[in-house]
Amino acid sequence: MIKIGIPRALLYYQYYPMWQTFFHELGAEVVVSPPTTETVLSSGSSRVVAETCLPVKLFLGHVLSLIEKCDYIFIPAIRSVQSKVYNCSKFLGLPDMTKAVIPESPPILDIDIDINKGKRKLYQAIYQLGRHFTWNPSKVRRASIAAWQAHLNYRQVMSDSGLTPPQAIEEISGTPKPEPKTHSSNPTSPQATVAIIGHPYLLYDEHISYRLIHRLEQAHNRVLTPEMLTTQELESAIARLVGRAYWTYEEEVVGAGEHYLKSGADGIIGIMAFGCGPDSLMMDMVRRQAARLRTTPFMSLTLDEHTAEAGVVTRLEAFLDMIYRKKRKQVEICV
Amino acid sequence: MEAYLGIDVGSVTTKFALLNKYSELITDLYMLTQGKPIEMVQQGLHQIKQQLPKDVDICGVATTGSARYLAGVIVGADLVKNEITSHAVATLQYAPQAQTIIEIGGQDSKIIIIRDGVVIDFGMNTVCAAGTGSFLDHQALRLNMSIEEFSQRALTSKTPVRIAGRCTVFAESDMIHKQQMGHRTEDILYGLCQALVRNYLNNVGLGKEIKPPIVFQGGVAFNQAIVKALQEELGSEIIVPPHHEVMGAIGTALLVHEESLNNSNGSKFKGFGISEITYHTSSFICNACPNQCEIAQLSIDSQILARWGGRCDLWERSPSSQNKEIE
Repeated sequence: MIKIGIPRALLYYQYYPMWQTFFHELGAEVVVSPPTTETVLSSGSSRVVAETCLPVKLFLGHVLSLIEKCDYIFIPAIRSVQSKVYNCSKFLGLPDMTKAVIPESPPILDIDIDINKGKRKLYQAIYQLGRHFTWNPSKVRRASIAAWQAHLNYRQVMSDSGLTPPQAIEEISGTPKPEPKTHSSNPTSPQATVAIIGHPYLLYDEHISYRLIHRLEQAHNRVLTPEMLTTQELESAIARLVGRAYWTYEEEVVGAGEHYLKSGADGIIGIMAFGCGPDSLMMDMVRRQAARLRTTPFMSLTLDEHTAEAGVVTRLEAFLDMIYRKKRKQVEICV
Repeated sequence: MEAYLGIDVGSVTTKFALLNKYSELITDLYMLTQGKPIEMVQQGLHQIKQQLPKDVDICGVATTGSARYLAGVIVGADLVKNEITSHAVATLQYAPQAQTIIEIGGQDSKIIIIRDGVVIDFGMNTVCAAGTGSFLDHQALRLNMSIEEFSQRALTSKTPVRIAGRCTVFAESDMIHKQQMGHRTEDILYGLCQALVRNYLNNVGLGKEIKPPIVFQGGVAFNQAIVKALQEELGSEIIVPPHHEVMGAIGTALLVHEESLNNSNGSKFKGFGISEITYHTSSFICNACPNQCEIAQLSIDSQILARWGGRCDLWERSPSSQNKEIE
C-alpha cells in the first residue's frame, strides 16, 4: 500500500480529516509526523535558507521527520479558498520551497487550490492528484466527495462539542488518547473566561505554544478558541470590523478577536508567530479595536524559538492577575 | 508586631521589603544579585534579621522577580507573584491616582497602564535589552565612571548629541563615533539617556496610552538624567516615589498581606535560620522524550527541594518522590 506522509504542521489542523479520507478512499495509507519536539523544530530551522517565519521552520522539521517513513509527502499549495481572498506567499510556495531545501525528501504530491480560477480548474487539480492512485475519474470523484463530507463533519464536531482540532481529530479517527482531554476539563465555576485567538497551527502545537491552553486551564480558567464559533459568527465579526477579509484564515484572528472583544470573554490573548507578516497586520487590527472599546483586556504574545518559557509565563500570570483584579473591583463597585 | 516580607530577586539586583500590617515600610534592602540568587537571598535574610525590631512576627513571605520560583522554594514563600502585578500594587498604594507606571530595571523594562485604580494594559520589553539598566552600567564602565557620576555629568549637558538607541550594539558604536569626533562626554551621556527613553517609548510603550500622573520606578529611576529625559520626551511631570527601587518587593509584601487575610493557615516561612543552610544546585538533561529539556534542581544534602525547567510536568510534579536522576 502506498504511504502518504502528512506533516503535523500548518494546515494539518484545518484539513487533516479531509486529506486523510481522500487518500484512504483511493487506497493509500496516511502517516502523520509525530508531535513537535525541540529536535523537530531545530532540524527545520537548520534548513531554511534565508530567515523565514517560525511556522514554516516547524513545517520543514515535520517534513524531515517523515523521511523514510512514507512514499510520498502531501504538500498542497493553497492559494485561495474564498473568492478574492489571498493566502500568505509562504503557503503558495510551500511545495517548491520544501523541494528546494529538503532535496532528500520523498517525492512531493502537490496540488494547487485556487478558487479564483473557477470550479473547473479546481476539479482538474483534484483529478490530477488522484491520478497518482487511479486512472478512474469516478473513483477520484467519489473520494473527493467523501473527503468533503469528512471535512464538514470535522467542522461540525468542533463547533458542536467545543473540542479543539487535535481532540476532534482523535474523536473522528476513534483512537482515544490516554491523556485527559484539555477542553472537557473546563472548570464549572471558572476564575475567568479567556479567549485565545490565532492560527490553529500555533494554538494547538503544544511545543511552540508552551502549553498555553493547558496552563490557562490549570489556573481554573475557561478557554475559548476560534473553532468554537460558527462560520457565520466569524464572518459577521469580520464584516463589522474590516468589511471583508483580505487574508485567508483571517477569521481565526480578526473574526474571533472582534467577536470575543464584544462578548463572552474576560480577556483575550492573541498568539502570533515571529516573522509572520499577515499576523502582524491582523493582530494589530484586533489590538486597535481593543484599545478603542476598552472593555476587554487584550495581550498579544509573539512566539519564537526561545527555549526559556519565563517570558510567556510572566506575561500570562500578569495578564490573568489583571483580569482577576479587574473583575474583583467590578464586584466591589456593584456591592 | 505583625510583619510581611517581600523579596524581589531580579536579574541584576535583589530587593527586600518588610512591611507592618498598616502597609508601612519597616526596613528594606537593595543589593546586587551578582549572578548568585540563592546566596543573595540568604545574605539578605541575614541582614534583615540584624535590623529587625525585637517583637516582629513574620506573618507572610512572598517572592517576585525573575528568580521568584527559586527564591520561593528557599524561603518557603506563601505567595509567588509576577513582577508586573507586584509593581502595580505597590504603586497604587503610594500614588492611587497613577495612570501610567514606567519601570526600568536591570534587564527588563515594563509599562503598566492604570485607569480608575485598575491595571488595564501592560507591556514588557521583548528579546532586546537595549535601554535597560545593564546597558547604562556597561556604558558607564566603558567610560570609566560610576553610574552615579554618569547621571551627574549627563545633567550638565547643554547640547546633547543624537545617538541611535534602537540597538545596544549600534548605540555603542554610535557613541564611540561621537567620541572620536570630539563631542563632549556629558553631551554624549545625555544623548544616550534620550536614546534610551526614545527606545523605551517606541518599543515597550508602543500603542500604549501614556497619561499623567506618570510614576517612574525601578533601579534606573535613581538616574536623574533619565528622569529629565523622560520628562522632556513626555512633556509631563514624572513622579519618582520614595523606595522606587524596592517597589516590586513592597508590592509582593502587600499582596501576601492581602492574601493572609483570607487564609488563616499561618505562614510557610522557613525562618531566618535558612541563611545558614548550604543549598546545592545542579542540572541534567532529561532524556524521557526528544525535547531534551534542561532540568535544574535545588537540594539540601541529598534531598531534592524542587526541580524545574521541563516542558512537561514530569519533574515538577512531586520532586520528593523522584530523587533519582535519569542519566
